[in-house]
Amino acid sequence: MSDDSLSPTKIGLGILWSAFWTALPIKLAFAIVFMAMDLMHLENRLGLAFLMLLASPVTVFALPIISMGLESHIGEGAGIAILFLLAIPIDIWALGIVGRTYFLEKFRKEPPDGLGLTLWWKSAAVGAIFLPIIWFLVSTVTSTAISMAHSLLDMEIFKGIPVAERISVELTLWGSVSAIVLLVLLLIGVSLVGRIIRGTAEAARPVAENYQSIVTRWDLMRVPADQGLTLTALTLGGVVLSVLFWASLPVTTPHPHECCKKPDVKVEPPFRPVEALNKDEKRMAQLELQVSALEKQMAQAEKDKGKGKPKAAKEAAPPAPKKP
Amino acid sequence: MAQSSLPSTEPTVIEKVVAFVDERIGLKQMQAKMLNEPVPGGSRWAYVFGSVLLFIFIMQAVTGILLMFYYVPTADHAYASTQYIIHDVDYGWFLLSYHFWGSTAMVVCVFAHMSQVFLWGAYKPPREMIWLVGLALFGIVMGFGFTGYLLPWDQRAYWATTVGVEIMDKTPLVGDFMARFLKGGPTPGQMTLSRFFVIHVMILPAALMGLAGLHLFLFRAAGPAGPFRGTPEEIRAKTDYFFPRQVWKDIVGMAVVFASICALAFWEPVVLLEEATPDPGEYHPEPEWYFLFLFQLLRLKVFAGEFGQFLGAIALPGAFMALLAALPFIDRDPERNIFKRPIALISWIAVMTAILLFTVSAIINREFLD
Repeated sequence: MSDDSLSPTKIGLGILWSAFWTALPIKLAFAIVFMAMDLMHLENRLGLAFLMLLASPVTVFALPIISMGLESHIGEGAGIAILFLLAIPIDIWALGIVGRTYFLEKFRKEPPDGLGLTLWWKSAAVGAIFLPIIWFLVSTVTSTAISMAHSLLDMEIFKGIPVAERISVELTLWGSVSAIVLLVLLLIGVSLVGRIIRGTAEAARPVAENYQSIVTRWDLMRVPADQGLTLTALTLGGVVLSVLFWASLPVTTPHPHECCKKPDVKVEPPFRPVEALNKDEKRMAQLELQVSALEKQMAQAEKDKGKGKPKAAKEAAPPAPKKP
Repeated sequence: MAQSSLPSTEPTVIEKVVAFVDERIGLKQMQAKMLNEPVPGGSRWAYVFGSVLLFIFIMQAVTGILLMFYYVPTADHAYASTQYIIHDVDYGWFLLSYHFWGSTAMVVCVFAHMSQVFLWGAYKPPREMIWLVGLALFGIVMGFGFTGYLLPWDQRAYWATTVGVEIMDKTPLVGDFMARFLKGGPTPGQMTLSRFFVIHVMILPAALMGLAGLHLFLFRAAGPAGPFRGTPEEIRAKTDYFFPRQVWKDIVGMAVVFASICALAFWEPVVLLEEATPDPGEYHPEPEWYFLFLFQLLRLKVFAGEFGQFLGAIALPGAFMALLAALPFIDRDPERNIFKRPIALISWIAVMTAILLFTVSAIINREFLD
């Protein structure tokens, strides 16, 4: 018996929420390595940006649209684009595994082939249209609500309210409006995804087994066919990511305090003994040549001096006194 | 010939060692008892918080021990040694930032774990003792946060502790003694640092280990509560053992938390303010983020004055904790489904909203102070 009482919101939430948590550990590992490698810098609204980036079945196309069209910048670096690209196969796998389990457990229907890919592209398409709308509407409503709450409390009768109370009242006013709008729009979005999933389920054929057999089936679905291979692959993946992380992690703090900034030290070129020996030999040979040239020059000068001396001496010497 | 082709039945060295230990302490029985615990309704992601908390505590202990190799708990060296860890020790900045964000993760996971137990109705008989020990563990985690905050000995640490101890001073009967004991003098100084250090690295870890052990023992004695929804047939069909599925979920949960703490250590590594002085100067004292809601609450006019401060800082939180402790004895309805317990659901939403509202208000309030 399939569970017909399931609302589209419940279906959408059931699949998207589980798929998000299934894919999160893998994407998170890549995100950390990219940050350690200095490939990714997330800017303002960090938590939101990070969550949206990791909730990629619906944000993979929506975030670039929001960044381009609504002047909202989530960050810089090639790592963000690489993470989005890597997230595509991870999300297809996660939606596939969650979708198959959900189809069996909740709809009691045979999951169709390629379910992960179908759910992924449909969720991505809904996200691409719906998330920018949510972003625009919530931003507009929030800024309007903030200014309205501000003007309301600027009125003469509320002038006496102390700062702490004023902050809390203002926050309650605009925060509730903003939260309600966000929640309603998110529920509509999730419900849209749920309707699409239900449409896919209606086309699937029902399962004939009893409940216990279905439980065993979906349970075994999550157990890898070759457990040894899966464990080895996971361990190797973990080792590679750990090595990459520690190799690229800065040894000293990337944010030094004013008190402890290190002076810029010029790095000495590395010492290469063979090259240094060859260089020294060349230099010595050159110096030897120079010395011998100098010696030759000096000898020549001495010679010239020796030759020229008697003549010069003769010329310079006063005439010898004549003997009496 | 035929005999030689048979696989060797000679036990390996490891098997011999395991058999030796097993004979003496009943290792295999212990392992079976730990891993073959039936989980009613099967494994769930919602059950990972307890194991994740244990993992965070172990990581905090490891990073804390590594930091202690360099940290000097004296008023004239605490700041310099912390700066040394950040600027000179290889990967010291990362270790300290991990330890700092690890404490935040612990508070978040304690809140999540307590919320899960509350919403699942898992505090109801026969699990009252588990709930009470859990509340004591919550207090210890908060104590870790409070005592650890002073150790870097910068302006933030010094003034947050000053404010915290002043709040404690307002407790009737024991407040004055506690404040004098913690400060060890008229103003925070060497004695305060020594006492906070000893409490942070000796007393609280020992208390946490003892109580966490008791918590686990009581949990195993009462058994898991299981889901609050589903027919007995469904729950029976889905019932599974702790190993391997719940163990796998716990491992994934730990990996996610580890990666999240690493990410936070990258985004916002620990950066100290100026060294602690008895003059706050331009600095506006503020506690750690998980005490911000209480700090903002005390700024409200209704909590002004000596009595108001006592009401907001001691009476209200004390009454709330007393209510939580009495909860399993007040709420005798066996119904566990949160959607059939409207008072519990509304109360939980109201408390969470109030905490969020006052925390955000405290952040907005900074602009007015600057």
